[in-house]
Amino acid sequence: MKKIFLMLSCSAVILLAQDFNAPMKAYMNELEKEAKAQDASFERFDAKRGESIFTSQHIGKKAQEMSCTTCHKSDLKATGLNVNTNKTIAPLAPSANAQRLTDVEEVQKWLRRNFNDVYNREGSALEKGDVLTYLINQ
Amino acid sequence: MKRIILSCLVLASMSWAKNVPAATDALYQKECASCHFGYQPALLNASGWQKVMGSLKDHFGTDASLSQKEHDAIVTYVTQNAGNSKLTQGNTTMRISQSPYFIKEHRRIPERLIDQPEVKSLSQCAACHTKAEQGDYSERTIVIPNYGRWE
Repeated sequence: MKKIFLMLSCSAVILLAQDFNAPMKAYMNELEKEAKAQDASFERFDAKRGESIFTSQHIGKKAQEMSCTTCHKSDLKATGLNVNTNKTIAPLAPSANAQRLTDVEEVQKWLRRNFNDVYNREGSALEKGDVLTYLINQ
Repeated sequence: MKRIILSCLVLASMSWAKNVPAATDALYQKECASCHFGYQPALLNASGWQKVMGSLKDHFGTDASLSQKEHDAIVTYVTQNAGNSKLTQGNTTMRISQSPYFIKEHRRIPERLIDQPEVKSLSQCAACHTKAEQGDYSERTIVIPNYGRWE
């Protein structure tokens, strides 16, 4: 009986935890290899580091201070707002928007664009992996 | 009778002049209109679109770069449907709002109605042109926030 309970609770945890689909997992593996090649002491991607990448302020492409949350807002389950154009942005949290983080090409495109917008440079493999690890759990 | 027909034709052509075909291309909608108002291709001439599409890495201050495939498809769509009427005549820039006709049509709008948060700038067509999405810019469809109809 205990065993059944244990199995049930384990599968519930698996169902609840957000996970990447197969193509995204392959992309995360690529990023991991790249991160390791750039720094031998790399162990694993970290959601906490990803959160700080996402929420910290930087001088962006427009020479103004901003963060990812300037447009995506602090509550990733809610709708964001493009501050340049007043256009709404669908929620970024996969738990609120199942489309998010499912298409590798889209993910690569937006990481490239938004790192340039907020950091005025492209993100490293470590930074991209960290921020994706943070976002998949939202 | 002739005069009535003539004035009907003149009126009809005047209202048509403020309409452009809607931007119906699915890729254009996804890649461009998800971030900003989906400016119809006819609002800018072909050389203006070439400038826009050639500088997406720094697209009015943000990175809007595309994959080569998306880029080529959108260049084809916007240039094939680019404007070549009085709307776009004499505009040598990549800004729709720099067309002499555009400037003339907006010259009487007080700054305070443009600067307000609901509008922000003349780039936000849909803030006042209630049927801008459909390509209808006729005066009877204009409602300026905190002001009302503009007729």
